[in-house]
Amino acid sequence: MKVLDVQGLCVQYHTEKKNQSKAGDAGSETLHGVSFSVEEGEIVGLVGESGSGKSTAMLAVMGLLKGKAEVSFERMSLCGEAPVPGRNAAMVFQDAQSCLNPTVKVGRQIAETIRARRGCGRKEARERAEELLDQVGIHNPRLRMKQYPFELSGGMRQRVVIAAALACEPKLIIADEPTTALDVAVQAQIILLLKRIVRETGTSLLLVSHDMGVTAALCSRVYVMRQGRIAEYGTAEEIFYSPREAYTRRLLRDAKGFRRLSAGGKERRPLLEIRYLTKEFDTMEGIRDVSLEIFEGETFALAGESGSGKTTLARILSGILTEDSGEILYRGERLERKRSGSVCGGKIQMVFQDPYAALNPCLTAGQALEEALRGAGRISGKELTREERRERIGAVLEQAGLRREDADRYPREFSGGQRQRICIARALITEPELLICDEALSSLDAGAREQILSLLLEIQKERGIACLFISHDMHVVRQVSDRIGVMYGGSLVEAGRTKDVCSDPWHPYTKQLIESVPEPDPLKAAKLKSVPVTETPVREGRGSLLSPKKLPPVGCPFAGRCGYALECCASEAPGSRRFGSREIRCFLYSEAHSGKRSEGYEMTSQI
Amino acid sequence: MLRYTMKRVLTGVLSLFVLATVTFFLVRLIPGSPFQRGGVSSQVVEAVEEEYGLNEPMLDQYLTYMGSLLRGDMGISYQDPGTEVAEIIGRAWPITASLGITALAAAMILGTALGVIRAVAENRALREIISAGSMLAAGIPSFAAAILLMLLFSVKLRMLPASGLLSPVHYILPTAALSLYPAAVISRLTGNTLRAELQKDYVLFARAKGLGKWRTIFTHALKNAYLPVLSYAGPASASLLTGSFVIESIFTIPGLGREFVSSVTNRDYTLILGLTVFMGTVVIAVNLLTDLLCAWLDPRMRRAYREEDV
Amino acid sequence: MNAGRHMRHQLKKYIGGSRMAEAGCIIMGIWILLAAAVPLLWPWSYSEQNAQICNQASSLIHWFGTDRFGRDLFARVWYGAGISLVIGIASALINGLLGVLCGAAAGYAGKWADMLLMRAADIISSIPSMLYVILLTLVMGAGIPSIIAGLCVSGWIDMARIVRVEIRRMRDMDYAHAARMEGTAPMRILLRHLLPNAAGPILVNLIFLIPQAVFTEAFLSFLGVGLEAPAASLGTIIQEARSQMMLYPSQMVYPLAVLCVMILALNMVGTAVEDRIGDRREETE
Repeated sequence: MKVLDVQGLCVQYHTEKKNQSKAGDAGSETLHGVSFSVEEGEIVGLVGESGSGKSTAMLAVMGLLKGKAEVSFERMSLCGEAPVPGRNAAMVFQDAQSCLNPTVKVGRQIAETIRARRGCGRKEARERAEELLDQVGIHNPRLRMKQYPFELSGGMRQRVVIAAALACEPKLIIADEPTTALDVAVQAQIILLLKRIVRETGTSLLLVSHDMGVTAALCSRVYVMRQGRIAEYGTAEEIFYSPREAYTRRLLRDAKGFRRLSAGGKERRPLLEIRYLTKEFDTMEGIRDVSLEIFEGETFALAGESGSGKTTLARILSGILTEDSGEILYRGERLERKRSGSVCGGKIQMVFQDPYAALNPCLTAGQALEEALRGAGRISGKELTREERRERIGAVLEQAGLRREDADRYPREFSGGQRQRICIARALITEPELLICDEALSSLDAGAREQILSLLLEIQKERGIACLFISHDMHVVRQVSDRIGVMYGGSLVEAGRTKDVCSDPWHPYTKQLIESVPEPDPLKAAKLKSVPVTETPVREGRGSLLSPKKLPPVGCPFAGRCGYALECCASEAPGSRRFGSREIRCFLYSEAHSGKRSEGYEMTSQI
Repeated sequence: MLRYTMKRVLTGVLSLFVLATVTFFLVRLIPGSPFQRGGVSSQVVEAVEEEYGLNEPMLDQYLTYMGSLLRGDMGISYQDPGTEVAEIIGRAWPITASLGITALAAAMILGTALGVIRAVAENRALREIISAGSMLAAGIPSFAAAILLMLLFSVKLRMLPASGLLSPVHYILPTAALSLYPAAVISRLTGNTLRAELQKDYVLFARAKGLGKWRTIFTHALKNAYLPVLSYAGPASASLLTGSFVIESIFTIPGLGREFVSSVTNRDYTLILGLTVFMGTVVIAVNLLTDLLCAWLDPRMRRAYREEDV
Repeated sequence: MNAGRHMRHQLKKYIGGSRMAEAGCIIMGIWILLAAAVPLLWPWSYSEQNAQICNQASSLIHWFGTDRFGRDLFARVWYGAGISLVIGIASALINGLLGVLCGAAAGYAGKWADMLLMRAADIISSIPSMLYVILLTLVMGAGIPSIIAGLCVSGWIDMARIVRVEIRRMRDMDYAHAARMEGTAPMRILLRHLLPNAAGPILVNLIFLIPQAVFTEAFLSFLGVGLEAPAASLGTIIQEARSQMMLYPSQMVYPLAVLCVMILALNMVGTAVEDRIGDRREETE
């Protein structure tokens, strides 16, 4: 039986309104006769790039575009009735943080939904809210009810949002990018939770996502959207194993990542050495005793979930933060820090995550590049003439895939991908030897991501720049890097050649990280495993809230989540051990655990 | 939280100390003597000054004054011998405060109501009328409003009394003149912040959860939209509570503002100082209360304050 | 250089396209023109007394009538308007400069400079400011400088706070980090990268500072502690008319109206710019 049946849905945004849905440049996001349906107890996916109209379709179904757009359709029925939010349909949005009212306790935000739905008393609503929180896998729901959204972790907030959606007792849940903002481990949990909920409650689920992996892991049927139309639809197997449309094939190819144009790594001279670097914070992610080397011309990737300390490390290297202890050697010399913040005379440059925040809105692209040249000139004492500067700017813009004329345009006139190109040009114009890319791709669309990635690799090959590539996206990391370092809880748990580490992870955390990435392949994704994730502590009584990111004083940071934890893991931090090209911090590889080895013994994975 | 409050109180006390000190010396720089009056010979003036200890070294006078201030004694008015400064304040403040509170309540109610209507109304003309009205009201200084209201309602129409504060009817004109500007600002602030708040995802989500439109506005959006309004209303209410010099002088209301103006023209040192310190205390207290109120409404701010404690 | 072009670009960015801002600018322009031209071109002087024509109503000869000394009110009102405007603009500029300097220094340097400035601002803002303006004008004696000085005791605090918050917010933006990594000097980062981005809020605050100052001045003169005769500002003219308010209300209404028009026009411009900035913020976020 069809739960949701939509035929010929058309949406036209009112053009004079400047602020439309936040899901992108909504001006183009108009629907032309879209039809789709969802069966009872079925999970259906709606995929497409941002701007393809998938979010608009959802909002239109829920009737939430009133006053913003013109909506028309041939048929729209939910079990024979019109869809009414809160009665027969509920939504889960991408960003749980912004979906929950920051100044209202989470318990009340669920209970009010129950009261609006059932018209029952406060007490009954509260009891039901506790049940729901328990159902979505939140421990100690009674205490959690009294917390505010900002006191919960991202995964827990998304669970609360799902609980609030369930409180509507809907026939259909529409989930709009429900896992996009989450770490892979948490994403895997939420995927499994959604599956379980559909099984237990018999509700149907319509998933809107740009992530082919998540779609493969959840959906039995998939609609592919492009420019406000359905490009292709079919069962998950049809879509993923034998796509008919070129567009679908492109989406799948982008999702599977990008083939590495192997670069660099001929001479093995270390460019940058980090020794026992430590930086601790009260509230932010700290790092502890991190040692690593980056060789000339190679790409070293740092992977790990948010809060693992990757960004802190990048910020220390770029001079934004200073280390508490430890040392950084650049070409064998201790890194000198000037008060102005530039390190190694501008030989290390950075490409930031958010190209919107990384460019000064008051400066044109050319002015921004000129400022960079000026700064570099100040360090080296070489002043360029105006013509020389113009020439350099034009050349570097072209290299970054922009036109010379773009120098006179302001950042707001560029798209996200183009802005990231300007950022790359700005980083390159000072001729650095090491480029730090801190999640430089994660705010971009799949298409732009691939283009920027190939640009980076091309430039790196051409100029022989070493690159420290920081990302939480294992797909990207696997494709771009020569070597990889995996961080957890502020320490580098495993480092080695990317090929080795990704195909044969030694550290329990690395294994978990790799396994929790859903692949765009329904059969493989069905095997997705859940892993335990530490939750933020519940505030007890009136005491102050413990800052969750503070490093535990002793022991391995991963001990609490590790399935292989030994007795010593909780009391002692494992030291770093080197086996060939691989370096690992885990007691599984200690002599005490595996016994003394004979001379020629080759260590293998212990897990 | 407690530590934060304590810190604020301490800063407040420090501010008052600085305020009293600067005012003390500044007052003595005003040309003219408190006892100089037409027909009074300079010998007499000097004699009286000596009696009040005004010929002693400045530092001694300052120390004596601060000492007695610490004991809570604000001294005796020079102008009105035998009357304590505290007594004058005790007489004038209830009048000022009752007017100030009425005006504050009027401004908050009117401003909020208009602001909500402006943010929510689908009728464009209504929205424009409200914003034009609040702009116009914000453009008229309170004393101009007072004069115009008085000319219209008391002089021309003879509907409302023009002076004094004897009956509730007397409150109408001064309250209107006082609350016009804050009401305009509050309506503008409420309208803008509420409209911004209504664009946010949690409002969309609340609607998707099945909550009604008005319920969403009042239980979710307005609470958050009100925080910036409160941080304006705090200092504004402080100035309302310390009395408006002009409104009180136009409507001949015997409140703090009028006492201050007359104390300044009479060079009544102790009364000027006493009034300054008192008004400073009110301003600091009201600002602290506002911040605590905001913290009570906003758990994030509460946490920030709590972290300051650690 | 291209500073002029930049300026024009900025102005267009904040004012262009808003009917309200344009109307405000036009009204303000006419107002300034009158304040400048009337004292020069009008046949009557603002200070010449003539007992024979006192307290006349509006007529073709004396557009606003005359006051009780027989002085032409139209001349007086526009002369006073000029004085008021000079006081308003001068104190707004001083306060603006002071506020931007202190705010930028505190926001960018942080640490003790920030601490010091913010404590000072806390103390100053806990003073009932009107009180201090009155005391100061009494100490320094009546006159334009003392009024401006009085206005500058606490007028810069708001501006300093706004600039500080903006600079602090932007100091940790990625583009500021990028500039530091390139080796740009701190002063250049502040002037070239950060302050231009705070131009919007600074402009709004500056626009609102003018009517505030004009208002305070009028208010002081109204209390009788402002300017001394024969100099006249809008406030003193209103004050002079007060004693005969019941008999000749028009003598009070004209200067009041001129004052209100000016404050209104500036408020319109300020509000429009503020809304524009609000919209831009929403777009970029």
